[in-house]
Amino acid sequence: MPIAAEKNIKNWFLETLKPDEFAEKDPKKTGISFEAIIPQNKIRDAAKEYLAQDYFLESLTAVDFAECFEVVYHFSKWNALDRSCVKILVTKEENKTPSISSIYKSANWFEREVYDLFGIQFIDHPNLKRILLPESAEIFPLLKSFKGEPAGSDVTQSMKLIGEDAEGFEITYPKSVTEHNKDYYLNLGPQHPSTHGVLRVLLHLSGERVLDGEPIIGYSHRHHEKMMEIQNYLACWPNMGRLDYVGAMSYNFGYAVAIEKAMGITPPPRVEYIRVLTTELNRIASHLLWMGTFLLDLGAFTPFFYCFDDREKILDMLEMVTGERLTYNYFRFGGLDKDIPAEMIPLVKQFMPEFKKRLRDYDALITKNVIFRHRTNGLGLLTRESALSYGVTGPCLRGSGISFDLRRHEPYSIYPELDFNIPTRTEGDVFARYWVRTKEMEESLKIITQVIEKIPAGEVTLGKLPKNVPKGEYYSAVEAARGSFGIYLVSDGTLNPYRIKLRTPSFSNLNSIIDMLPGCLVSDVIAVLGSIDIVLPEIDR
Amino acid sequence: MLTQSPAPGLVNLFKVEDVLNMARANSLWPLTFGLACCAIELMAGGAARFDMDRFGFGVFRPSPRQADVMIVAGTISRKMVPCIKTLYDQMPSPKYVIALGGCATAGGPFKYPGQYGILEGIDKIIPVNVYIPGCPPRPEALIAGILELKKQILAGNVQGVMSPAIAHDSQDNRPAEYKNAISRAEFRQPKADPPQTEKPPVPTAPVAPTTPPPPASEPKN
Amino acid sequence: MTILPEVLRIVLWGTVAILFVSVNALFLVWMERKVSARIQLRQGPLHVGFQGLLQTLADAVKLISKELVFPNQADKYLYALAPMAVFAPVICAFIILPVGRDLIIRDLNIGFLLVFSLTNIGFIGIFIAGWSSNNKYALLGSMRAVAQNISYEIPLLLSTMVIVMAAGTLKLSEIVLAQSKGWFITSQITHPVAFVIFLCSALAEANRAPFDIPEAESELVAGFHTEYSGMRFALFFLGEYTAIFISSTIGASLFLGGWQGPWMPGVFWLLLKTYAIVFVIMWIRWTFPRLRSDQLMAFAWKILIPFAIVNIFITALVLQFQKVLL
Repeated sequence: MPIAAEKNIKNWFLETLKPDEFAEKDPKKTGISFEAIIPQNKIRDAAKEYLAQDYFLESLTAVDFAECFEVVYHFSKWNALDRSCVKILVTKEENKTPSISSIYKSANWFEREVYDLFGIQFIDHPNLKRILLPESAEIFPLLKSFKGEPAGSDVTQSMKLIGEDAEGFEITYPKSVTEHNKDYYLNLGPQHPSTHGVLRVLLHLSGERVLDGEPIIGYSHRHHEKMMEIQNYLACWPNMGRLDYVGAMSYNFGYAVAIEKAMGITPPPRVEYIRVLTTELNRIASHLLWMGTFLLDLGAFTPFFYCFDDREKILDMLEMVTGERLTYNYFRFGGLDKDIPAEMIPLVKQFMPEFKKRLRDYDALITKNVIFRHRTNGLGLLTRESALSYGVTGPCLRGSGISFDLRRHEPYSIYPELDFNIPTRTEGDVFARYWVRTKEMEESLKIITQVIEKIPAGEVTLGKLPKNVPKGEYYSAVEAARGSFGIYLVSDGTLNPYRIKLRTPSFSNLNSIIDMLPGCLVSDVIAVLGSIDIVLPEIDR
Repeated sequence: MLTQSPAPGLVNLFKVEDVLNMARANSLWPLTFGLACCAIELMAGGAARFDMDRFGFGVFRPSPRQADVMIVAGTISRKMVPCIKTLYDQMPSPKYVIALGGCATAGGPFKYPGQYGILEGIDKIIPVNVYIPGCPPRPEALIAGILELKKQILAGNVQGVMSPAIAHDSQDNRPAEYKNAISRAEFRQPKADPPQTEKPPVPTAPVAPTTPPPPASEPKN
Repeated sequence: MTILPEVLRIVLWGTVAILFVSVNALFLVWMERKVSARIQLRQGPLHVGFQGLLQTLADAVKLISKELVFPNQADKYLYALAPMAVFAPVICAFIILPVGRDLIIRDLNIGFLLVFSLTNIGFIGIFIAGWSSNNKYALLGSMRAVAQNISYEIPLLLSTMVIVMAAGTLKLSEIVLAQSKGWFITSQITHPVAFVIFLCSALAEANRAPFDIPEAESELVAGFHTEYSGMRFALFFLGEYTAIFISSTIGASLFLGGWQGPWMPGVFWLLLKTYAIVFVIMWIRWTFPRLRSDQLMAFAWKILIPFAIVNIFITALVLQFQKVLL
């Protein structure tokens, strides 16, 4: 019997569950501490035990091999670097596996995505329908046997969709709308001023009060994962810039860290400092854009212009370095594209006191504004259980009292040597998330100050690199502006990735809105949606 | 430049049409319709530094009934296509379309052989007046596009163009590196690294020694 | 017959009023765009005419030339009626505005009440617009507008009651004349409070931020006028700006002395005071976020109305003391 104090998931696997295969792995290279392959009927027990021991479901995906599918689950813990991987083998004939959506709520959307892209069915899933592709699509694109649509049938398929829509392609609502009762359905989006992109939220309303709401995604699906399978690793850099275009440096960072970990190389020290400098500047720019649009949703038109004004100053600096304003491809494996010009550091030094003064202005005009407080206090509560079940990360999680930041808990680059706090607030409402992001901007300024003092001279490239990423499976995650961005890479040792899964933070964060919506008014829905800070293309990939 | 009226009518309406075109050119109201990355540059174009409102272009209307210009900013995924067509149909004429960015022009960086998810250019379903290339185009490019549209309206030729490829779909015939599925058993054999043709370089900082994980497996039940 | 010159006079001045309303609305829209631009660190309309002065004219001509859309299954007559029902009553309110000494189209005994009744009929037009559009967003917008407008009529009237009590008459021209010794806003302690309540209520009646939830752009697409295009939409716009103008003129007449002022003609002073209040209204719009609909109701019923009632009592007491002591 296990000793009561050693309540740890590895021992539980070895003693209680008895997996088919069990392998300890090196977290520094592969990102996980162990990998367990279990039969299908034991996945629910495993999930229950993980939930009981406070792990969240970080990623759920599938890999298409010749003999069978591998359905891969990654579980991770807050405040402790303890990620592990559980796999199930699904034969191609059977094509089914049990669903864990009753245990982990985030699995609902993850499993729908796996069904959509691979065709694997999940038994007992409440709502197994497509999530990223149109509902009438007939392809399973991430299968290796899918070699692309016949010579571009984009127009034909699009005309078909237009025709379906025109013929009254009706969504079957759960409840009959022909009865004369007081509730009705309202569609927010996909074209709506406040959905920050093409998101659709189907609201079931009674008067102005929401009974429940369901986000419907997929309107921005740009097939990143399939594209990256037929390109080589270097050609995948532009994809990383376009996933979350507002905070693209962190995604560059994530990809660079993942591949460098896999190849086993370390970039020169100057590169690390420049990477952190540009990433933190980009984080501030991303939070500024969020703040402007969030307040625009609430009806305050002016902060949008002030935030964009500050953001333009940061964009000037980053454009001086990278040549781009928005979708950066600045990092390379083991280095950077080019060095920073000499004029950049004085510009950063000049920017910082101006920006600190602006932050004080925002504090006085927004944080202390009584109308703003009334609109945001006590609204959109994210409880700890909900956050765990949905796998929420980033400022949304830190607004609910859990101080989890990958820069501190799974450190990469030079973050262990830098001194910064992790702002956390316990209420879990819209105001808490707003407050966390404003304080994060100040912390980023602190980091930038330290970096520009300590930045060493040196080269910015490693020169020759290993030709290929070695064969194996790797998971690595960084802290992007919206949460933890993870990459699960299956490399077969050739020039192209075999399977690359992008675990984006907004996907899980948006999923958690399903719990926050019931009971809100329509105005509140907009405020809650804005406070989560989503970027649609990174959800739909 | 005056347009020729097709048949001489009883009342000569040349001048009225000119005046109306002048008014339309100077008062274009865009529809708030951002799809992806280019939407951020659209917002930046309306913000304080670039200020499209100077040209009369700043009143963004969220309802298609009140908008004149639809700026398609971003990649058009197939799921979104019927929505765009509906929005375009809802706009009252005279209406114009600006395709902002590479994706709305011709598919952009997301076009690869055998792509399954996007529509390669919005001109395949609705007529476009101005194309603004870039990924994403700078706000100055957007303003240049607006001024180009103004020129077109003042000149009277606002019939947008649709892609000539509409009948023939995408023409991307490049070879693509689709691979077949590999065998899982082969994949999981340890020591099966393909021989590295180049030695890993000596980096300036010491590399953490990478020990291969011991292939321990518990006795099967 | 003595009625004919009277009728001619009304028709002439009515035409002048309508022309003035159109030019004024054009000017106000330009002013709004410039004021908002300057608050937002940018320039605003610049190239269409000198400093963008012809911008609104271009907007208006363009709107006239737009195709008139008629949504599927919308109520034909009500859909066409709504913009007129919003715009027409507001124009009628010009009849009783005192523009100078003896310069008033029709000086009614109950002028004060008539002005408020006319500006408040407009909300029926908003309600009809939302209902007849066959669109859920429009319906939500008009429901909110109805609730908001009804709630804010009460503090609007209650707050201006103190002025009526102080002046002793409902005739607008006499209320203005009663301020020849000093503006009402500074004459008693309750009057500034009344002015603030009046301003809040006037903002809410005109659906201006922070009370603009019926047309909340970021929530309801475009609120009650989602389905309107072209000239019909322009009429809603015109109605809103004219309502602001009328409210500001009333505010100036009731609290700030109306057309009275040294040297220059009365019209000049009235316009100056009116545009000052309009500027403050625009300033408020671009500074604050929007209130939620239930918070808005709470603000009216739980804060404005009690304050207005207490205000009335205190004014009554003060007036009695003045009568007794003097």
